[in-house]
Amino acid sequence: MVWMRRLYFGCLVMGFFIAHGAMAAEGNGGADDCYLDGWQYSLQCSRITVGKGDTQVKLAVMVSPALDESGEEPLYLLAGGPGQAASDLAILLNKFRKINQTRAIVLVDRRGAGLSRPFSCGIDRNTPNELEVISKSLADCYLQQTTFANSLSSRQTIEDLELVRKHFGHEKISLWGGSWGTRTALLYQQWYPDSLTALVLDAVAPIDTKVFLGASAAEHALQTLVRDCQSDLACSRFGDWRGELEQLLINWDDSAAKKFPDPVTGRISEQPMSLWALQSMIRAALYSPEASAQLPFAITEAGSGNYLPLAGIAGFFSDTTTGMSLGLTFSVACSEELHRISEEEVAADIAGAFIGRAFLEFFSRGCDVWPVPKRPYSKPEPRHHPVLLISGEADPITPPIYAQKDLDYLSNKQHLIVMGGGHINSIRGCIPDLIDKFLTSPEVKLDQACVKDIHRPPFMIGAYGPELDRRGGSDSKGMEQGGSGSD
Amino acid sequence: MSIVDNVLSQQFQALVLKELLEVWRDRRALMIALGFTLLFPAIMIGSGALSFKVVSETNLNIAIVGSDYAPLLENQLHGTGFRIDLLREGIPRELLEDKYDAVLQIGKEFETDYRNLLSPKVYLYVDGSSKSGGRGIQLIQERLGTLQKTIMQQRLSARGIAPQVLTPWQLQIRDVSTPSSRGLAILGIMVPVLLIMALMVCSAAPSIDTSAGERERMSIETLLQQPLNGWQIIVAKVLAVTSIGWFGSLLSLAVLTLSFTLLPLAEIGVQFSAGIAELVAMSFLLLPLALLVAVLQILLALRSQSFKDAQIQLSILQGLPVALLMIVNLSDIKLDSPAWQLTPLIGQQQWLSLLMAGEAIPVPLALAGSLVTLSLVGLCILVGARALSRESLLGAT
Amino acid sequence: MIRVNSVSKQFSGTPVLKNLNFSIADGQITALLGANGAGKTTCLRIITGLLKADSGHAYVGGLEVSKYPKEIRRQLGVVGDREGLYERLTVAEYLSFFASAQGLAGDKLEFALQSVREELELSSLWNRRTKGFSQGERMKVSLARALVHRPSHLILDEPTRGLDVLAARLLRRTLLNLRSEGTAILFSSHIMAEVVELSDTVLIMANGTIVDSGTPGELNTRSGSNSLEDSFVKLAYGQRAGKRQQGEVA
Repeated sequence: MVWMRRLYFGCLVMGFFIAHGAMAAEGNGGADDCYLDGWQYSLQCSRITVGKGDTQVKLAVMVSPALDESGEEPLYLLAGGPGQAASDLAILLNKFRKINQTRAIVLVDRRGAGLSRPFSCGIDRNTPNELEVISKSLADCYLQQTTFANSLSSRQTIEDLELVRKHFGHEKISLWGGSWGTRTALLYQQWYPDSLTALVLDAVAPIDTKVFLGASAAEHALQTLVRDCQSDLACSRFGDWRGELEQLLINWDDSAAKKFPDPVTGRISEQPMSLWALQSMIRAALYSPEASAQLPFAITEAGSGNYLPLAGIAGFFSDTTTGMSLGLTFSVACSEELHRISEEEVAADIAGAFIGRAFLEFFSRGCDVWPVPKRPYSKPEPRHHPVLLISGEADPITPPIYAQKDLDYLSNKQHLIVMGGGHINSIRGCIPDLIDKFLTSPEVKLDQACVKDIHRPPFMIGAYGPELDRRGGSDSKGMEQGGSGSD
Repeated sequence: MSIVDNVLSQQFQALVLKELLEVWRDRRALMIALGFTLLFPAIMIGSGALSFKVVSETNLNIAIVGSDYAPLLENQLHGTGFRIDLLREGIPRELLEDKYDAVLQIGKEFETDYRNLLSPKVYLYVDGSSKSGGRGIQLIQERLGTLQKTIMQQRLSARGIAPQVLTPWQLQIRDVSTPSSRGLAILGIMVPVLLIMALMVCSAAPSIDTSAGERERMSIETLLQQPLNGWQIIVAKVLAVTSIGWFGSLLSLAVLTLSFTLLPLAEIGVQFSAGIAELVAMSFLLLPLALLVAVLQILLALRSQSFKDAQIQLSILQGLPVALLMIVNLSDIKLDSPAWQLTPLIGQQQWLSLLMAGEAIPVPLALAGSLVTLSLVGLCILVGARALSRESLLGAT
Repeated sequence: MIRVNSVSKQFSGTPVLKNLNFSIADGQITALLGANGAGKTTCLRIITGLLKADSGHAYVGGLEVSKYPKEIRRQLGVVGDREGLYERLTVAEYLSFFASAQGLAGDKLEFALQSVREELELSSLWNRRTKGFSQGERMKVSLARALVHRPSHLILDEPTRGLDVLAARLLRRTLLNLRSEGTAILFSSHIMAEVVELSDTVLIMANGTIVDSGTPGELNTRSGSNSLEDSFVKLAYGQRAGKRQQGEVA
């Protein structure tokens, strides 16, 4: 069954795999105590009915109340995807405790996601990893639930958020958006600027950025990995592994695909590893610095015929429930993103990128059978809210350049860039503290020094793991005594 | 004259005024009250905050002997909380005695063994009897553990094994406690005991002064020669002493409440959730106990021949209720039965605990319990009134 | 009038007063003269009701002390062997408290306070706390307290002890004034000159009983002495010879 789980590589769009999956809220009706996986304490859960008839949804809202009722505006967490659920973000609460001390943290599962009538079209981790199969399932699903599929949009999500805000009597709120959640947050800021105090955007997808043109971003992340590997004494010995990857992908054929081992069973996979899946898997690995750190070794090994390390990386994702409701994903992606991408742009994007068309193909084929109406955005208007932007230097889907070039209309922003960082950095190193400081005094310029202390994990070098001596590369700490203990 | 008339009489009012003036002008008693109520919580909170600060902010001095053999480990340990010295050699025991909180010793065969997957040993020397030593073990284990997990994952990966293979199941903890109930464990025990202690400490000096002191100065003779009832005299004294004891405990409560807002309680997931209503309820629940403490202390001090004698007797008995509360709290004695809430001291302690945690108290029981306490106060006043007619109360002729 | 009728009192088996009998007339100053340990204070405390007699009765203004403790206290002013001051109260507060305790209120209270203030020359002390007062000042305050409710009976236990000349004079003057107003005054002392100067009647007390009584002159005559001191010594210590019968004052 393992091969089926690889679906995740393909559809990991703008989400991130910090979530453990299974949602477990039990609340219904008024505000009851309930639990979400990844957070051991109870939350207050309620349901708010939105929509009518076919599209009616009992919106799941989960609140982690502030410890001190000091009246700070609450922080709403907006999940990525589109298609991921805020209820999957509960694990963030562990790192956001300090933030949660003075402000409530509110998780709203948008319509069609998580606990709010998940629109998964029956596609889950057990669905075969074949575009044909997925495409067929989607087509059937759209026909069955056309009204619902056509109703889902960012606009609707934002109206729902506004409803929730009023329902709780929150005068102003702050938003944390991760990945596609940043798009939702930025749109909310456009439409309801008066309800907003501050924005924290991690892995930013600006309104004007065509984030589904992800091939060059993925290549950029890989090139950053190449650069960092080269400056590492041990890793640099792998030589031109990027070139080897090129060869591997060019030469990938049925015989190679059928030799691919299953990282869970230890046997050869029943389902061959298609080129599309291989490219998607490597792209997915770039989301996480941990998985990235294994790529040079795994690709080098694969180049000499040993696919085990590569299978091991695939194993990283084998137990991750996508948490992605693909119906929602396609409703939003097709109506808001895919239609604004031209063939010329695609050609320019995929040129020289290892992923080629693999990433986009998944969506363009999906949108073919998902004919939702186009919903273009208007040009963003200037906004002056304090905004904290967080980017991973080596993020394969929302690189820092997006936030740098497409957010000129925001007058009051700060940008944290984590060197070598992947997709979503809010829980790494001192970033949770910086977020807390930012929310407490959004107008104060943050001292970003501690961001430099966030490093890539050590590169895997051999069967034994990382090299003991990482010195020699640019990342070296040298022999100076004292270290960073005294900050 | 009925009791009510007596209480309202000018005579009685003058008596209460006199006792109040005496008590509130007793600089010594006020100093003790202020000292205890301000300093004690301040010291407690201060040391609590300080130790929290120490734990979170002080750097541990770590020596790594033979770091050359495994720079990766050293790298991993860098970061907040550690001050690391790299030594080529050194004797761990001596280094610990010198200035280090922990010494990590890496042997020269480490690298070879590591590369050969032979699981080399690393030695961590600490002084388990020192506070920092224990913390050292924990922190170093944590940090090296993270690295070890990374390496483990890489090794598994290299062999084509998914990490989930090593995770047969995921344990998800669901804690039914609330921030305030977690606070109950800390604040619910400490605060009531502290408030009750404040009651007793602040009442002690004025009770001694108003009874044994008055006896020693022989002004009691003059007082007894007035056309006043014995119980009036005792009640007036009890009210005066209570005023200061109650004031002391309220001040303590205020100081503690203020202090809690300064403590990083949220970082330990604890909520100080008592609001104004709870604090007011706590104040009123303390009042009957304040009366009981005052009347008992006065009775006790009245028995003593001298001021000093009374001081010694009271200070010995002072610790008893607190010790009792602590024993009850620390031991597994179950006080769930409602009867316990009717017991003075234990009842108050339980209500205060609940209120401190922002929870509701059983109102009928609290009222009944307070009535029990007040009845005891009444009984003690009668006993005191009788004691005033004892001839031995007067100094020898 | 104060009357002590066959009063006996023991403290833990030791007899202190033995069948004590005497009476004090209104408008007279009576001195209770006795050595230390003669039982003077015990006798006075029985009269004020602080102690209960083992047998016999004491009467103040015709009321039996143990039966009407509150009533007799309104008629009594007492200056004990300690002043009974509250050092943290001002003279005004102190006197005001005792006047109120005696049931005075309103204008009557104010008037009573003004009277003792003038009578005992307390103006300069009035708003000072009594801590640190000299012996004379303490006595003045204490006397004021005993007089503030204008008792018909005044009992003083060694009132002149430690007084300076001026204070002693004020005390004497006050007592003489009170006598002329008809107050029954009983004071204990062992200072002969004072007793001679002030008292209309002297009760000589020894070993828990009155050994003789009369005016100083009468006592001198009876004992064949030239001074009260000699008379006292003879009467109090010579009594062991059994020369004298119990004194009684009509």
